[in-house]
Amino acid sequence: MSVDPWKGILKDTQRHSAYLRYFEEWEARIGSFLEYRLSQDDPSDSGRLPLGGVPFGVKDNIAVEGYHCTCGSKILKDFTSPYSATAVNRLKAAGAVPVGKCNLDEFGMGSSTDNSALKKTHNPWDVSRVAGGSSGGSAAAVAAGLVPFALGSDTGGSVRQPAAFCGVYGLKPTYGAVSRYGLVAYASSLEVVGVLADTVDTARRVFDVIKGQDELDQSSALYPGLSRDRGGNPGAAPPAASTARIAVVEGLEGLSPEVEETYRSSIDFYKAAGCEIQPVSLPSLDYAVAAYYTIATAEASANLARYTGIRYGYRDTGAVTMEEMVRSSRTKGFGDEVKLRILLGTYVLRSGFQDQYYGRAQKIRTAIRNDFDRVFAAADLLLMPVFPVQAFPHGDTSLDQFQQKLADKFTVAANLAGIPALSFPTAPRNGLPVGMQLLGPVFSEQRLFAAAEIHEKSLGGIPRPHGFRSV
Amino acid sequence: MDIHELRITAELAMLDLDEREMKVFEAEVSKTLEYFAQMNAVDVDGLEPTTHVLMEENRAREDRTRDENLSDRLLEEAPERQGRHIVIPNVL
Amino acid sequence: MAEYQSFIGLEIHIQLLTATKVFCGCRNRFGDEPNTNVCPVCLGYPGVLPAVNEQALLFSYMVARALNCDLSKTAYFDRKNYFYPDMTKNYQISQFHSPIGRNGWIEYETGGELKKVRIHDVHLEEDAGKSIHRGTATLLDYNRAGTSLLEIVTEPDMETGEDAEAFIQNFRRLVRYLGVCDGNMEEGSLRCDGNISINLKGKGLGTKTEVKNVNSSRFLKLSMNHEIGRQKRALEKGERIVQETRLWNEAQSRTEPMRTKESAHDYRYFPEPDMPPFRPSPAFIADVDARLVELPVYRKRRYEAEYGISGDQVQFLTEEKPVADFFESTVTAGADPLQAAAWICTDIQKNLNKLQIGLEESSLTSLRLAALINLVKEGVINRKKAELTLSLMLEEDKDPDVIVREQGWEQISDSGAIEALVTEVLQANPKAVDQIRGGDMKPMGFLTGQVMKLSKGQADPKLVQAVISGKLGS
Ligand SMILES: [Mg+2]
Ligand SMILES: [Zn+2]
Repeated sequence: MSVDPWKGILKDTQRHSAYLRYFEEWEARIGSFLEYRLSQDDPSDSGRLPLGGVPFGVKDNIAVEGYHCTCGSKILKDFTSPYSATAVNRLKAAGAVPVGKCNLDEFGMGSSTDNSALKKTHNPWDVSRVAGGSSGGSAAAVAAGLVPFALGSDTGGSVRQPAAFCGVYGLKPTYGAVSRYGLVAYASSLEVVGVLADTVDTARRVFDVIKGQDELDQSSALYPGLSRDRGGNPGAAPPAASTARIAVVEGLEGLSPEVEETYRSSIDFYKAAGCEIQPVSLPSLDYAVAAYYTIATAEASANLARYTGIRYGYRDTGAVTMEEMVRSSRTKGFGDEVKLRILLGTYVLRSGFQDQYYGRAQKIRTAIRNDFDRVFAAADLLLMPVFPVQAFPHGDTSLDQFQQKLADKFTVAANLAGIPALSFPTAPRNGLPVGMQLLGPVFSEQRLFAAAEIHEKSLGGIPRPHGFRSV
Repeated sequence: MDIHELRITAELAMLDLDEREMKVFEAEVSKTLEYFAQMNAVDVDGLEPTTHVLMEENRAREDRTRDENLSDRLLEEAPERQGRHIVIPNVL
Repeated sequence: MAEYQSFIGLEIHIQLLTATKVFCGCRNRFGDEPNTNVCPVCLGYPGVLPAVNEQALLFSYMVARALNCDLSKTAYFDRKNYFYPDMTKNYQISQFHSPIGRNGWIEYETGGELKKVRIHDVHLEEDAGKSIHRGTATLLDYNRAGTSLLEIVTEPDMETGEDAEAFIQNFRRLVRYLGVCDGNMEEGSLRCDGNISINLKGKGLGTKTEVKNVNSSRFLKLSMNHEIGRQKRALEKGERIVQETRLWNEAQSRTEPMRTKESAHDYRYFPEPDMPPFRPSPAFIADVDARLVELPVYRKRRYEAEYGISGDQVQFLTEEKPVADFFESTVTAGADPLQAAAWICTDIQKNLNKLQIGLEESSLTSLRLAALINLVKEGVINRKKAELTLSLMLEEDKDPDVIVREQGWEQISDSGAIEALVTEVLQANPKAVDQIRGGDMKPMGFLTGQVMKLSKGQADPKLVQAVISGKLGS
């Protein structure tokens, strides 16, 4: 299966109206979009272009000209983007049609999408549960079949974790493989534009369109034409997925029984498929979350300094001094989690504290990269769980914001190291999806797709939530 | 982190915290900083900091003007304007 | 009375002459309608990224090289965090950990003497926008926001206001020679803050103050000297110097404490993650080196030593690079250096002023000037006619020999023709002739003048004198 059945769905009047009905029924239940426009206006030549006439969703922290770009925040609630992100422009050039903006945790800060200041999003498998976050709207929309794919952003797992919660594919590309131009910055050195997709093939085709260097993003890289060998050198042929050497992490703690069982069965699956399983240890993983949040909050404190109500966005009127206006606009415009992270980030950068926090975190980041280099010197891929638990209920008191952060342990390492990772759905347990992820060295996306595809085939297509209908 | 440090930090971040918020954030920030302090257990001697993960080549832009004049459209987003100026309350 | 020593260091900001801003493709021009040269990047819109301008890097490395700095092999940008309405992101992209240049030095000349100032660092950053205060409102214009600014920080190696003034004048000439900045202090394309401290001799640096709002080299001198005096008086009264920022009050000719808010700054510098470090390639460095020029201070001293040109003339010749270059190519084209200097500093200047154009816009070339100078040297025309020739050269865009031929201005150097003229003049002025014969040489000049007049200025004055002397036996 691929995106092909979606081509031209907007143009054809009959298909369009059936689609609209299906979309709106689901959307009323899950609230995945903050804004959408399913007009029949599709300028693309669906026959000729690779994604001609294929609708897609865009996380609302990625700019689409003419759409709002709220970032799930009150401070940007009425802000309309005057330009489009490079990834969006490339998709449009390939014929795809952005139909709306997906809900998210405010500025990408959270693991549930419950931190959105604007809307509640529910998991299509069980609306009493969260869709995950921060790209929860994108994941829910794809899981419910409203769009075949959606763009998300992954700073510390924000594509992979909601993908795992909703039972879809979630690609976090190599840092720099996709231009960040138009992605509203949270933590610049960690985040990438990612893809949530209904099949491996869709993820691959979308990635092929959006990847590549961009003159507007000097941290973007020339994507090598050939995949890289084990040492990350370009030119070598990718190993066959069925004989790949897959590293697995021993002695992972804190996994729920469902996730732990799925990890075991996934290892068994790849072993049975002919892969060589290599148990490894990743000692630096224990410090990854601390290093991650130190760096992420530090960068966020600067990235979010621009929201002052001066040039755009929410302004608290009534203040008589500039300072007062800026303070109260920020104080009223940002939610608590955002404020918390700004405060943390400001603190860890302060003189006198910077060496002990931010400086140290940057060195631990190097240790984590070294750990991965060691693993990928001997293995082609690394298999890990995405998140310790399945989608949790809204307002779950056993998992407060702090504990949700600790649970990012398996996802943040890929962001710290800049390597690609692909979250893929497995057989549901207790009626909820479980996601696993494959990680590889930089620019090894094709290898990740190939390995995930064997698994996809074995399932005969991934499980869908009740009420799902394919186009 | 004590209230005094939190106050300085909030000041630098241009956030106004009332007494209730001060208490909530003080607890939350302290808890997280304590968690960050775990990093002290790692031996980082001899490790260079990673500031950028991909550093393969130089990137610099040619000194050429980009003519996509969006200025009128950009000004529309400003909460208050006088002609082409963006207006804020007096700084002092 | 105790003897004090003073220490002055400067923080200089120069606006680089790039076509576009430093991190976006907006035009680098800020006299336009407010907020016209702006884009999502320089307005700090959500989602945008900076992209560094190659020309700005090149100019920065040129300055760092000219200031004898160690050039950074990996130049990072850093974010300098502080809230300021003129600065759209509320952090300035600047350099802190690994600036383009470090540990440099530069010599400057004051009163004919060369003095050395160490350079702490040279770093590239972005400028802020402008605000206009109108009653209860402030109006913001971001045309200047994000334009490239190069900051040069010196060590406190100057002692007096005169030193600082001379330094900044030398520095201004330097950046203009390099072609990286127009050096206009009044308009703010070259800005300068002075750091100053004094202490008892031999005790090292004292507590420094920083003086801002100095927009001419003269005000720099006055403000530094004023501050030296103020600090001295304070110390002598037993007061302590407060480390603070002060403003130069032009109207009152004094420095005053700047009103500041209580909260301390903590810039929280950290590496800018949006741009990779810049590692200049050998080809880039070769390009930098190829664009370096002989610095004005050394050029001036060379003209003095090599050609014996001095005073206002050498000052004028070396003030602007195009003028100095013109001078040198005139010499290369075979003109006598002193003659070339004299022509450039006086006659040419007079003509250009009259025509209200610059040397480069004029039709005058160094080849033509050399030819003109040589026409005089070879006696083809005299100095007076040469001046007229120059005017016509400028007006008509012609070679000097063409003009001389067209006007029939060739000098009369034929002694037969001159003898005839002299004879006529001597006959018409018997009184003068008698005076000279009687030993009074005073009328010599008068008689020469009469012959020149009779020749319509074309006679060779030296020959005329010789013939008169010969005839009168003097
Ligand atoms: Mg500066
Ligand atoms: Zn711009």
